[in-house]
Amino acid sequence: MSTEITPDAILELKGISMSFPGVKALNDVSIAFLPGEVHALVGENGAGKSTMMKILSGVYQATEGSLVFKGEPVLFKNPQQAQTAGISIIFQEFSLIKNFTVIENVFLNREHTHPLGFLDRKKERQVALDLLKEIGFELDVDARIEDLTVVQQQVVEIVKALSVTASVLIMDEPSAVLTDKELKRLFEIIRTLKNRGVTVIYISHMLEEVFEIADRVTVMKDGQVVGTKNTCDTDKPNLIRMMVGREITAYYPERTSTRGKKLLEVKNLTKKKALENIAFDLHEGEVLGIAGLADSGRNTMVHCILGIDSADSCDLQVEGKPAAMRSIHDAIAGRIGFISEDRKNFGIFGPMTVKDNITIVDLHSFLRLGFIRRKKEKTATTDQILQLRIKVSNMFQRADTLSGGNQQKMLLSRWLLKRPRIFIICEPTRGIDVGAKMEIYRIMRDLVSAGNGIIMISSELPEVIGVSDRIMVMKSGRVAGIIDQASERASEEQIMSMAVGHRFSITEEEK
Amino acid sequence: MSSPPKTRRILKGLIAPEGLVWIILAALIVVSIFASDLFLRPNNLQNVFLVQPVGRGLAALGQAMIVIAGGIDLSVGSMISLLTSLAAGIFQQHPGLSPILIVLLLVALGAAMGAINGFIVVYMRVAPFMATLAMMLVYQGMALFYAKRTMGGVPKGFRVIADGDILGIPLPIILFICVIVFCWLLLGKTRFGKHLYAVGADSTVSALSGINVKRTRFLAYLLGGILFSLSAIFLTARMGGGGPKVGVGYELDSITAIVIGGVALSGGAGNVFGAFGGVLIIGVFYNLMNLLSMNSFLQTLLKGLVLILAVAFTFKKKK
Repeated sequence: MSTEITPDAILELKGISMSFPGVKALNDVSIAFLPGEVHALVGENGAGKSTMMKILSGVYQATEGSLVFKGEPVLFKNPQQAQTAGISIIFQEFSLIKNFTVIENVFLNREHTHPLGFLDRKKERQVALDLLKEIGFELDVDARIEDLTVVQQQVVEIVKALSVTASVLIMDEPSAVLTDKELKRLFEIIRTLKNRGVTVIYISHMLEEVFEIADRVTVMKDGQVVGTKNTCDTDKPNLIRMMVGREITAYYPERTSTRGKKLLEVKNLTKKKALENIAFDLHEGEVLGIAGLADSGRNTMVHCILGIDSADSCDLQVEGKPAAMRSIHDAIAGRIGFISEDRKNFGIFGPMTVKDNITIVDLHSFLRLGFIRRKKEKTATTDQILQLRIKVSNMFQRADTLSGGNQQKMLLSRWLLKRPRIFIICEPTRGIDVGAKMEIYRIMRDLVSAGNGIIMISSELPEVIGVSDRIMVMKSGRVAGIIDQASERASEEQIMSMAVGHRFSITEEEK
Repeated sequence: MSSPPKTRRILKGLIAPEGLVWIILAALIVVSIFASDLFLRPNNLQNVFLVQPVGRGLAALGQAMIVIAGGIDLSVGSMISLLTSLAAGIFQQHPGLSPILIVLLLVALGAAMGAINGFIVVYMRVAPFMATLAMMLVYQGMALFYAKRTMGGVPKGFRVIADGDILGIPLPIILFICVIVFCWLLLGKTRFGKHLYAVGADSTVSALSGINVKRTRFLAYLLGGILFSLSAIFLTARMGGGGPKVGVGYELDSITAIVIGGVALSGGAGNVFGAFGGVLIIGVFYNLMNLLSMNSFLQTLLKGLVLILAVAFTFKKKK
């Protein structure tokens, strides 16, 4: 428990505890937030960050302890009350209605009306434009949300929060979906907010961001506060130590260069307006990292290789034999496993059990006379759960109740049953906490050591550098270069300069 | 840089389902003119454009309110049957009753039936499709129990609603336009209207924004029930009676009409005018089939196909 005395705090949690049936999600949490500071909140998944956010924003009510806001004890019964008081939250999944316009979203349920009860769009427009001006961002306020870029959507969220004169703004992993350029923009906005005296509570998995934007950082672990530090008084290893409670000497597993035969060869991969003449290969025993900006065509390329998307031309050789990927079935038959970056929508079957999620791709191997042999299925599932150390209460648990890291392990084991030679994994550790990240890296390393190959798309440069044997950098649908890390580690600057080209031209996407 | 946002939006509006409706309607009218000489007869035109759209239009407006808020109501038809039966039955027993009283009674009953549907869907948490499918049986059973067959004998004072006119303009048209304008203002220009769209488009986001999702959905059904009762009132006045089969087919007609008119079955999108355009389209289409004296079973079959096409088309649009 923090013993700091903070008389000038704008928002203070005092001994907050939160119990759910069977679980104590928060235990005696005390944090003080100062006016006009950017306060980062870090911790592994399940550390209690999101529960705390939900208490601050009125979604949950604490079972014990008190909230002090502007010197007064408060109790928020619903999000609306917190918002009216001046605490706004931007959730990880945006809370915007896709087919509504910017104005309609900003003033949803706080519409300005004429005395007769009709909506006062003119006034709403003025307020929205004023707020946009204040944070220095231009946006068509009549555009529909679905037509906006992710960062623009985030700006709408911020404007929505500011429209109720928020004095505290909570941002839940705002960077998860942003490119570096967009992130810079967001940081500028956060600094503007800070200068206006707004307290920003910034939740993130990315420690780099914490050091760039935050004044102070609070580390949480297992529902408790480990400590609060000034960012200038601490460093990354220190924070990681606080988060996991142990020293991480080797954050990334050691590379074991055992490069073997060619597993996959791609040539002449071209798709109109998306990809141009892509060529590369993947060998046994290596992780090929693919870096590049979000619009560099990395995902399209992978989708073409897998047969999910169709290319105009593509020469593929799998283990030395020419292969045509007309659909994902061909890819699976070619022993290629694929894990999408979007676990929720393209990965797990949320309401189904962990067992069903693991065996679904390989079901036919459990058949006898057309019936599934439950015993064999269960044995295989148990093996996988033990091997990858998936944390479950039992194999019949609903998949969507697992933490992100365990969901990812579950997806890995789904493909492991098929024994693929080639894995294509997109953003393997997105939204996954530090401990689980390390385990995923270890599993990936084990896979390649056993003679398989992995193609990994990642937006996190430290991850690309730490995990990959070779790094392919993409830029505007082309291969900008391939870096072999056997002799020397690549640097983030090196990759970035390849990804953005020599001319650092900022071209906004206008479609 | 493409065209400025404003022109782009107008262009988009024309290609949007709501805009497309009028193009389809125009095309269908042209086809009808060529396909049958009878189409342009004043009697027929009056029937297709002034009489038919009122009853069906009121039902479709009610359906639109409910669907926009993320629900659906399959009980419209039997609700209308029950209400017209009750109206005719009451007039048979008490011919002297004031028509205004009956109108008020029917509106209150419609509101109550809508409220029951809403209660089952929102507070008992039965899926809208199942809840209203079941209530379709309940209301149909009540109608058949109350009135074995079609009854006449509705007095002139009540029939004015369908027959009367003010300065030569038919009274039902005036009333109908008033209802349309009311719905348009409600949906497009008020907080409540925006909230109907919001809960239909995304109930989680709505709840996070502090909108009372349950109450909004419930009110949508209640409002729908009132509009259905207006449809029943008009039909009773026009036919001078009512019966347990009067509303047959209205559930699918109303759904087909609004889907053609650009109301998304998934909720949160569409508007009053598009829905009305959809009503005219199916009106002209049904009329054309009649004018060509098409076999009635074949007509039923085609109605089903049109519904599927309409839903399939809008589904593709969303993807």
